[in-house]
Amino acid sequence: MSKEVSTSDFREGMIARRLKGVKMILLVLSGKGGVGKSVVSAALAAILAKTGLAIGLLDADIYGPSSALLFGAHARPTEGEDGLSPPIVRGVKIMSVDLYAPGKPVPVTGTGSRDVIREMLALTSWGGLDYLIIDMPPATADIAMLFTSLRKKNLAAFVVTTPDKLSLAVAHRVMELLHSGKVPIAGVLGNMYRSHHVGSSTHDEDPQMLAAEFKAVFLGKLPYDAKVLSAVGKSNIEDLLRTRFGEALQQSVKAHVKL
Amino acid sequence: MHEFSLVQGIIDAMQETANQKGGKVLSFEVRVGELSQFDIRLMRELLKELKAGTPLEGAKVSVRPEKSKIRCVSCGKVWGFSDVIRPMSGDEREVVHFFPELMNSYTRCPSCSKSYLEIEEGRSVRIASVSLDV
Repeated sequence: MSKEVSTSDFREGMIARRLKGVKMILLVLSGKGGVGKSVVSAALAAILAKTGLAIGLLDADIYGPSSALLFGAHARPTEGEDGLSPPIVRGVKIMSVDLYAPGKPVPVTGTGSRDVIREMLALTSWGGLDYLIIDMPPATADIAMLFTSLRKKNLAAFVVTTPDKLSLAVAHRVMELLHSGKVPIAGVLGNMYRSHHVGSSTHDEDPQMLAAEFKAVFLGKLPYDAKVLSAVGKSNIEDLLRTRFGEALQQSVKAHVKL
Repeated sequence: MHEFSLVQGIIDAMQETANQKGGKVLSFEVRVGELSQFDIRLMRELLKELKAGTPLEGAKVSVRPEKSKIRCVSCGKVWGFSDVIRPMSGDEREVVHFFPELMNSYTRCPSCSKSYLEIEEGRSVRIASVSLDV
């Protein structure tokens, strides 16, 4: 007997197969712009790649892509029978819409942004990776879609927040979302600490309290460092790692990530 | 050439659907969206090639083009990709080939000149229907 049946988006199956060779996916989230999520993602990718691990970096923040700029990546992924092979800069495979529309606005609707992210996941041929770091989009619906598409993988989330109340409030919402999506929270990273945050107010305790509330590890305090801005866009991301910010992040990685 | 991996994705999805529903695929229809700019003949050949030797070998496949419908979110006008394809360079059309929504970075509504556009039809490749023997 013949029967018409429905079928799910075939790209979901492609995504699962694309990620078969990825041992761990690290989601870097903040929920709010301007707290350094993309800089942390890029620096984390570079630090892990320096240890000899195979690292990929997917820029899923399609409205404000910055991974390519941070690495000085310009080459468009090469097309082959197996999909799109991302360019490799400083040992990191990088995929971003900025490689396809460099410097241009990407004024797509919410549905459109999720289609672009899904397409990047379905088409990118990562090969074997120890870690795929995803610089996550700020929009809640995009985040939720990614949880669904990635749900069968080994996932862990890093939440980046500044010690300020606005950032903390949004980070709290993101952690609620992670919790409800059953995504393990590997840690909370406090970024952009200024001297007045350290030891002189309750602010510096807040990211730690946030981590404690969700039983996540507090990964440390990264200093606000004006030199980070001057290092951005250099073709050598080593400049970023040599800043006080970069050195503090390297110490945090050494202390908390099994290498 | 990433058509190859997309067609393989379709074949895999068909097999998974048959396994989940406990039947055999009798026929399926694939729509190829205008924005993908895929060669329909190549898609047909790849589907024939990649289903050979699989449980889908005997399934009837229909591959049909799907015209694009692009709606301008600002003024509401609906138009087709062919209305603006001429001003776009080969390089820009290649971007749309991979990521149709990135058309918004390279073109504007022919009516109001804004670039906040939404794809209603003809985006990329999709499985339109599946018929199983159950």
